Amino acid sequence: MRGLEKYYPLLPVYVMYGLLFLFGHYTEGMWQAAALCAFYAALGQAFNVFLGMTGYVDFGYVAFMALGAYGMALTVANLYDVAWLGSGMILIGLIAAMVFSGLLSMVVGAIALRLRGAYFAIATIGVNEGFRFLLEGIKLWGGSEGIIISSKLRDAFGSDGASRLSTFWADTFVFLTAALAALITLLYMQSRIGYALTALREDEDAAKVMGVNTTKYKIIAFITSASLGGLIGASAWTLKLTYVFPADAFAIHYTVEAIVIVILGGAGTLMGPVAGGILYAALKYGLGVTFPGLQLLILAPIIIVIIVVMPEGLIGVLKAKVRGTVLQKFIV
Amino acid sequence: MSLLQLEGVTKRFGGLLAIDNVSLEIDSGEAISIVGPNGSGKTTLFNLISGVYAPDQGKVVFDGLEITHLPPYRRAHLGIGRTFQIPRPFGSLTVRENVAVGAMFGAHEHSMGVDAALKSADERLRLMGFYELRERPARELTPVEMKMMEIARALAMKPKLLLLDESMAGMPPKDIDALVQLLKGIKQKEGIAVIAMVEHIMRAVVGFAERVIVLYQGRKMLEAPTAQALSDPRVVDVYLGKELEQ
Repeated sequence: MRGLEKYYPLLPVYVMYGLLFLFGHYTEGMWQAAALCAFYAALGQAFNVFLGMTGYVDFGYVAFMALGAYGMALTVANLYDVAWLGSGMILIGLIAAMVFSGLLSMVVGAIALRLRGAYFAIATIGVNEGFRFLLEGIKLWGGSEGIIISSKLRDAFGSDGASRLSTFWADTFVFLTAALAALITLLYMQSRIGYALTALREDEDAAKVMGVNTTKYKIIAFITSASLGGLIGASAWTLKLTYVFPADAFAIHYTVEAIVIVILGGAGTLMGPVAGGILYAALKYGLGVTFPGLQLLILAPIIIVIIVVMPEGLIGVLKAKVRGTVLQKFIV
Repeated sequence: MSLLQLEGVTKRFGGLLAIDNVSLEIDSGEAISIVGPNGSGKTTLFNLISGVYAPDQGKVVFDGLEITHLPPYRRAHLGIGRTFQIPRPFGSLTVRENVAVGAMFGAHEHSMGVDAALKSADERLRLMGFYELRERPARELTPVEMKMMEIARALAMKPKLLLLDESMAGMPPKDIDALVQLLKGIKQKEGIAVIAMVEHIMRAVVGFAERVIVLYQGRKMLEAPTAQALSDPRVVDVYLGKELEQ
């Protein structure tokens, strides 16, 4: 493919993120709703790099977000009094988040990715629960009391700075992570990595016989997906909430939500998780406001209907619709 | 030195002896047919060569390198390409992309990037008279088209040895003849050895193979030049059926 044309599919994604950001920023009282949409879109995109591209379901995904949250929390807890670092500390925290989740995914991937299908899914649930109980059991990183960084952020950035960090920058980092995830997804799709992953998703044995080192490519996708999850955990949880508790950070329902978002939008597509994430968040938020307490009861049947009617997901259906038209280049 | 060498290879599935102490040698650029009735161990033999299984006993040597326990993708890098009896396309990819996957990940010395692979896939498809189907998702092909696509995909890997697993089954005679001509041409031009496994299509065996190996109940029953093998009374007996009484 030639030059810029390669990046056309990013355009609708970035326009959606841009509009969402501006809508949240300039509409009184809507920043939280926009941030929630960005959170679920980012989660969907990060998760899609692995689930969508390989077809493997990682039920322990939230563990990587949790480790990212801890990476940031530990960085702030240890470096908040190093004055010359300034905002550089947050950058170090984001890098630590990726390193933490990346390292865990390397270890988990090297072992669990030798398993297939349901066996892989079961093994990954074990990792999530096991890691949480390990933290609590040996009282590592604050044990079950977690790490609270609100006062340390105030020490480092003053109370205005700290509040700006958790009410604005934390959410903005989530937007940026979502944008980064979209870019990485597109680059993967258009490279040998994407072809290898699609081939192994369609038929792993045939892919091997064609020369695809399936374990290597699965691990690449797994680590990428995990590191992006780490960034989300560091921003959307640690920086925004200013604490990490193991019971919250390892909550398995985030993994389930990520699966729903990816399937809803279209697994393995670039735009799918964005559309799925925004739709999911908007429904959840909207129903929570209009039917407080009943939102999940109403949300579940809606999702079931969408998935039954559109098994390929929203974008999967749209993609088939625009095949052969000018829009084809933009919707991937 | 021969290209492929099997030495006393044995593979068991529980109590079933699927391949029983088989030895064979294939030279570069040879055309071989492996024939045998259903259940004689042909597909197992292919799986042992391409690395889907490792043998319980014996040794597999390819191009001077022992590959008995190498995983399939490493064998593909060394130059072993294959097709499947029941086609296994990458369904959501187009025909062109399927073939490009072969070019991208096949024999290491020829491996290439995405753009080059797509281009070479186009050439390959044009050569095989398949070009107009290139944008079709592979899952929408007919079974015979899938088999042709698999051959194109395997050839795109630039193998030194091509294993065709019942690639001609279900094809009309005209297509078989065309495919045999095509394979002969490719074999000559690219110097690859081809082992075609055939259950009952004598047309393909006679037209294509220089040498025939007959498998029966997991053992090598006979190995001989084509004409000689097909007139051997034992082969006629177990494989083609008894001659009609005059």
